[in-house]
Amino acid sequence: MIERLMENAAQFLLLLVLSPLVTGVIRTLKARLQTRRGPGILQPYRDLRKLFSKGIVIPETASWIFTATPWVVFFSTILAGLMIPMVAAEAPLGLFGGVLAVIYLLGLGRFFLALSGMDSGSSFGGLGSSREMTISALAEPAMMLAIFTVAIGAGSTGLTEIAGAAIGIAGAAIGQNWRFLAPSQMFAFAALSLVLIAETGRIPVDNPDTHLELTMIHEAMILEYSGPYLALLEWAASIKQLVLMTLLINCFWPFGLQPTWFGFGAVEGICWLLAKLLLLSCAIVLLETVNAKMRLFRVPEMLAVAFTLGSLALISTFLF
Amino acid sequence: MLMMPVLDLQFGERIVTLMAALVLVLQIAMVSQRWIVLHIRIFAVQSLFLAMIAATIAWYNHAPHIYIAAVLTLVVKVILVPILFERLVTRMEIHEEIEPIVNVPLSVLIAGGLTLVGYVVAESFYRPDAPGVGHNALAVAISLFLIGFFTMINRRKALTQVLALLSLENGLFLAAISLTYGMPLIVELGILFDVLVAAMVLGILVYRIRETFESMDVSRLRRLRG
Amino acid sequence: MLLIALLLIPVATAAASYFARRRAVMEAVNLAGFGAVFVVALVLGARVLASSTVSLANGFFYADALSALVILLTASVALICASYSIGYLRDDQQSGELGDDVSGREQLAQLRMYYTLTPLFVFSMLFMAVANNLGVMWAAMEATTLASIFLVTFYGKITSLEAAWKYAMIGGVGLSMALFGTLVAYYAGHNLTGSAALSGLNWSVLAQHSAQLDKTSMRLAFVLILMGYGTKAGLAPMHTWKPDAYSEAPIPSAALLSSALLNCALYGLIRFYILTSGCLGAEYPSRLLLLFGLLSMGVSVPFVLVQKNYRRLLAYHTIDHAGIMATALGLGGALGSLGLTLHMTFHTIAKALLFLCAGNVYQHFKTDQFSEIKGSVIRAMPLTGVVFLMAMLAIIGMPPFSLFQSEFLILRAAFDGGHALTGVLFVVFSAGVFAGALLHVGGMILGPGSDAPAAAPRPWRNGSLLALASALVIIGFWVPAPLFELISRAARVVSGQ
Repeated sequence: MIERLMENAAQFLLLLVLSPLVTGVIRTLKARLQTRRGPGILQPYRDLRKLFSKGIVIPETASWIFTATPWVVFFSTILAGLMIPMVAAEAPLGLFGGVLAVIYLLGLGRFFLALSGMDSGSSFGGLGSSREMTISALAEPAMMLAIFTVAIGAGSTGLTEIAGAAIGIAGAAIGQNWRFLAPSQMFAFAALSLVLIAETGRIPVDNPDTHLELTMIHEAMILEYSGPYLALLEWAASIKQLVLMTLLINCFWPFGLQPTWFGFGAVEGICWLLAKLLLLSCAIVLLETVNAKMRLFRVPEMLAVAFTLGSLALISTFLF
Repeated sequence: MLMMPVLDLQFGERIVTLMAALVLVLQIAMVSQRWIVLHIRIFAVQSLFLAMIAATIAWYNHAPHIYIAAVLTLVVKVILVPILFERLVTRMEIHEEIEPIVNVPLSVLIAGGLTLVGYVVAESFYRPDAPGVGHNALAVAISLFLIGFFTMINRRKALTQVLALLSLENGLFLAAISLTYGMPLIVELGILFDVLVAAMVLGILVYRIRETFESMDVSRLRRLRG
Repeated sequence: MLLIALLLIPVATAAASYFARRRAVMEAVNLAGFGAVFVVALVLGARVLASSTVSLANGFFYADALSALVILLTASVALICASYSIGYLRDDQQSGELGDDVSGREQLAQLRMYYTLTPLFVFSMLFMAVANNLGVMWAAMEATTLASIFLVTFYGKITSLEAAWKYAMIGGVGLSMALFGTLVAYYAGHNLTGSAALSGLNWSVLAQHSAQLDKTSMRLAFVLILMGYGTKAGLAPMHTWKPDAYSEAPIPSAALLSSALLNCALYGLIRFYILTSGCLGAEYPSRLLLLFGLLSMGVSVPFVLVQKNYRRLLAYHTIDHAGIMATALGLGGALGSLGLTLHMTFHTIAKALLFLCAGNVYQHFKTDQFSEIKGSVIRAMPLTGVVFLMAMLAIIGMPPFSLFQSEFLILRAAFDGGHALTGVLFVVFSAGVFAGALLHVGGMILGPGSDAPAAAPRPWRNGSLLALASALVIIGFWVPAPLFELISRAARVVSGQ
């Protein structure tokens, strides 16, 4: 019991502390790749501190949704993050439904965010909400299919089992390790990567650094927020990014996952996690720098590819 | 120590299955593609994977004549044909594709459906008693054939149709490798020679169409009716 | 060595034409080359009659009666077309069709392309007939497509490009299906001879052991081959490239395409039919063949009835005859096979003749629409008009011409074999095509018409026309004994002895 609580607390702290770092690393890497100097890795922390000390401005036409949303989004994202195996194969929180609960918690946050975007009455908010809903309507099935593929391989939708199945084989004879090279895993990984780009709002789907009307989705929905509310929403966005990245990493490349949080293994686990996150961040940065943002009506094409890959992944678990 | 799993037949089968899956992903990527230059490059990479699959099957089944087929595929389909087409595209200064007849998301889904059909057809060939590497590749081969056929009907730019035809032949090559460990060498030679000449001929034809019609849009070829 | 000579002569002709500098040299080389091929084909026919098969290089080359018949037909059409094309291309050059630069270099380049590609085209057709290996057969078929694409685009018009593109694409897809079918057939037989053995794809070997081939694979293989080689033959529904290609290619090439290439495509179908019926029994392949054959015949009827362009009419007519021959193959048995081989022979002569006449009409009137000619042919070009009408009557099956005999045989095969519906449909469709063709072509040739200027003398063209016409008439009454023997032996090969 006490261990459980401590595990949850530890993962909670990890989520809070690590997510702005990941955002900062991605921004700095992107800047360096574009031969700029960039704001520095710790800039998101400074931003959060600044925002927490500012005042709140609420539009007159807003309802209770406007004030409730930052809390709902923040805590649902944290809850989802607590269910992901980050350092240990055993996730601290095990809500009924496993990975489905994760997806729906994130969906809950998105739902409230979309509502609040329309709530403020500004046209930008409505624009952002409708775009976000379009993209998520297409991205979620693909994500589900990819996750189901992995779940079928593990025999359960509980993330502990999924990661456990992975780590169980990772420790076994080298011949069996090649299960990860099975086509179904490959397809699922490809599908989930495409969904990751869509859900975290990266180029080529959305540009997280801009506030131009044509190019923003997430930024449009949070345009009316200020002060601590904005801080919570931005933090939640980075936590969601961290959660999805960790999901991708630890379902498919679970090397370095420890059996439990405690012991010296925790340090090793955190180091492995940081290393893998760094690698994934580099890949994301490369993708962002090389591509231009897609026009909105092209996004369904990319997500259709993700959906087809996801279905192929699912089917190939039975056929291959 | 690393050699042990490499010599294992099961490992080889996994590698071949993996590469076949990559080939399939590339074919689906071709369906969703808009840029013609990227089409050509995806075709080149796909042919490269095919050559590698052929080489792997040759290694595990101790069938040296397949190596020659792999090398020929490498030379013709990975190097010569893409260079030919890229030079053509540069000369014609066309880079993008117009909207296909069935829009992209739907055609990607249809491609997924055709993959399923390919699996079903390949099932009837599957012989559990005849061991050997490459039975999974047959499903991918038939899917490649079907998806290439569909892309040919779906696309309007002439060069894309030619590339779809060539990817169809890629599927046939993969089917040949996985069903019967390749056909006799002289037949493979003949087929590859034909592919090369066909690529050249079709390239010239595409060029002339472009010159005459100011566009590669084959939906403009509508004067002959009845 | 006979077979080697057969193949080498066209290649040498092509090479010589390619390097020739003057038109006269190209013409002479072509004529001589095809004459030589014809002679070799005759000798081959005689040799096959004497010793039943000729094979070379450990069974890589193989010629039995069927191959010899196809080779003979191809060689004769090629020779006639070579002599016709001399006059035809000279006329084109004069009237500026080949390009109008002053120095004549562009025209010479066009001529060179024609005189190089045509022997290569014929070479690939001959190769297909002597190849024993199914894969090499396929490669030769693909080579025929590649060689003839530029013949279709010869005049460089917009419509020519469109026709060539359709031909290339539809032919390409069809041949890919045929390759798949060949592959599956190889799979069906590969446990007979072990992997990678060259003989595993040899037709003669497979035909001997056809009962032991894998049944499900052969089913799939036959469907694929039927659709693949059927595309080249012009069976519906894969026929759409034919009207365009025939109306755009130069007349001699169109004649080759419609008679010789059709024979080769059917030859490929026949070889696979023999394999499949040996493996699965005759019912399955014949059902499919009857389906496609009758469909082709049926599809051509409306297009023949409402046709405005006489070259496209001839194309639809060819589709009809491809259907007839597929039906004959499907009916099988001794009667059906004899009808098939007889029809192949007679159709080749008549169809080539039709195209040559159409070429004369086209070059004189410069239009391919019926409405613009309207009966002036008989006045302006009496010889062409008479021969055209006679050839048309022959090809629609009017007695006493030879095609009547072959179609009658096919009908007898249908009714005797219990395929009454097939027979009835055959008669109905043939009647439709009969009416349409006679109506349009008769109206074009005979009738008051406007006063058209008399045509200039055309020695080469009219000479070829007369030669072929006399062959047609003579064969209607008397088939030379060796030829008839060759035809019946070929029929026996088809029906499985």
